[in-house]
Amino acid sequence: MLKIENLHASVAGKEILKGINLTIGAGEIHAIMGPNGSGKSTLSNVIAGRDGYEVTQGTVTYKGHDLLAMEPEERAWEGVFLAFQYPVEIPGVNNTYLLKAGVNAARRHRGEQELDAMEFMQLVREKAKLVELDQSFLSRGVNEGFSGGEKKRNEIFQMAVLEPSLALLDETDSGLDIDALRIVAKGVNTLRAADRSIIMITHYQRLLDYIEPDVVHVLADGKILKTGDKSLALELEERGYDWVRAEEAAA
Amino acid sequence: MSASLQQIRHAAWQAFEAAGLPTTRDEDWKYTDLSRMQALLGDQWWQLPAADAAVDAASFAIPGLDAYRLLFVNGHFDAAASNLPAAIRVTSLATLIQDEPAKAMELIANQPDALLNSSIVAANSALATDGACICVPENTKLDKPLYILYVNSGGTTHLRTGIDIGKQASVEVIEHFAGSDVSTGVTTAVTAIRLRDGAHIEHSRLQMEAAKQCHLGRVEVNQQRDSSYTLHATELGGIISRADVVSRLQEPGASCNLNGLFVATNRQHMDHHTRIDHNAPHCISRENYRAVLDGRSHGVFNGKIVVAKGAVKTDSAQQNANLLLSPHAEIDTKPELEIYNDDVKCAHGVTVGQLDKNQLFYLKSRGLSGDEAKQMLTFAFADEILARMGNQSVRRFVEKEAFAKLPNITDLEEMLG
Repeated sequence: MLKIENLHASVAGKEILKGINLTIGAGEIHAIMGPNGSGKSTLSNVIAGRDGYEVTQGTVTYKGHDLLAMEPEERAWEGVFLAFQYPVEIPGVNNTYLLKAGVNAARRHRGEQELDAMEFMQLVREKAKLVELDQSFLSRGVNEGFSGGEKKRNEIFQMAVLEPSLALLDETDSGLDIDALRIVAKGVNTLRAADRSIIMITHYQRLLDYIEPDVVHVLADGKILKTGDKSLALELEERGYDWVRAEEAAA
Repeated sequence: MSASLQQIRHAAWQAFEAAGLPTTRDEDWKYTDLSRMQALLGDQWWQLPAADAAVDAASFAIPGLDAYRLLFVNGHFDAAASNLPAAIRVTSLATLIQDEPAKAMELIANQPDALLNSSIVAANSALATDGACICVPENTKLDKPLYILYVNSGGTTHLRTGIDIGKQASVEVIEHFAGSDVSTGVTTAVTAIRLRDGAHIEHSRLQMEAAKQCHLGRVEVNQQRDSSYTLHATELGGIISRADVVSRLQEPGASCNLNGLFVATNRQHMDHHTRIDHNAPHCISRENYRAVLDGRSHGVFNGKIVVAKGAVKTDSAQQNANLLLSPHAEIDTKPELEIYNDDVKCAHGVTVGQLDKNQLFYLKSRGLSGDEAKQMLTFAFADEILARMGNQSVRRFVEKEAFAKLPNITDLEEMLG
């Protein structure tokens, strides 16, 4: 699904990613953990195509295509989805209208017929239930006046509607109370599929209690320092990150 | 015509001749250069004939609007095409001048300081031939809006409209200025509104003149106790347009709510000067103006709020936000607060900017093309003002006219949903 090779990226001339290598197969869930400033969000922004991130070396191949050559919207049409760490409020742009435009743009791109208003509303209502999002949120401005938890649920709701092949969840669990975390996790688990890969970026092991990853990576100082299974996350929770760095330095 | 009306007209004409058009040396006209208008229209700008072509007034009307109608074509009331309410008194200024010159005089002469301050109002006072005269008796709520459509085929028209709303009465008035693009000209339009105790008005003022027309307007509102005035001003048309909006909160409990939207493209110039006078305690004013400027257009917003001595517990808030879609578009915006006592709440804020990069990226990451994302954010920015309109037929009409002006607006029908 996704193959990242020797990826170097800078923000405002400062190198943040210093040679990332990562391969994610179809249907896999990978967790990327790491301390603040390790480059986790830079990685997700580079994959989603945000301006201001300069790739200086390396390649990102998605479904056999050069992902870095695509515009952000092309990546979306091809099935890449970023759940934002800080979802943006867009007053006046209707939540449902945005999603309809997004879904139909992707369908046009694939040469499929666009959904009409009825079909779309049916889809949206069904997906809103998945993350227990009140119907009233559908007609509100995008994230306008939403609480922190509601914004994160809205991101997962959008993911459910857009049905991506590759979803990046950028600290979707941050700031959620335990109930909201359960709802979000339930939504994500329902969306697990053989043709859908998920990258979860997080600080906290507790997310992984609810969404079980296939692979756990430790990202620090712009590099993947260690890769393991779920037990690695538990070890990080217990021991912090310094031992991973020490191990790397020793090697 | 009575001698006294003639005298007023004469005095006004003399004031206009003595003052001439305002120049950019005048602080109030610093950014609006009427010498450009004079260059376009010539020295006889105040009396240009309209083009001979017949005007299809119906083609300009707001579709689907259930309202009483007053139609003015090239500055003259068209009674046959109008539909007046029975419940309230509505007449044209021309009829009033003939039948009740004393009343007509009151309407024309009720702005002594305006006459001195602005030579344009003076010219209008001297030359206004027609306009709507509306009296809403006390405790009356008109069942449908009053829709005043002023259509021209270029040339100069001077319109004077007066609206007097009785105690506890309530009315919605839509003033709509439109024209066909056959020749150049100028519209001067002065609307005086008086709100008596507890009276309400929702006033939409749609400036949608043809591309080569100039428009010089003034709205003057005098408010008594507990009255409320709501304005929805939209500036879309014309080559040079200016409107002065003055609201005087004269007695306790009065409130005004001024909403404005400019959408300017090409070389359009749009200027609103607003002034709110808090002359009594416990009055509330809200002001929210936005401009979307593309091409080489130029917007001007000046929002003056004066809180008089003794006008304690004043509650005032002013917001002005401007979106520049082109590097060549320009806005001059200036809030002006004059506060002469301590016990007041006055907030104001101005923003000037381009579309937000984070919002654009968010929309693109959901699959919208760059153009679609820009169009959606522009629409949202402007519609924040139009969403305040109570009348949905008017709102939809303005949305369509406004966004038809901007590039890349393709599936508007769907966006309006």
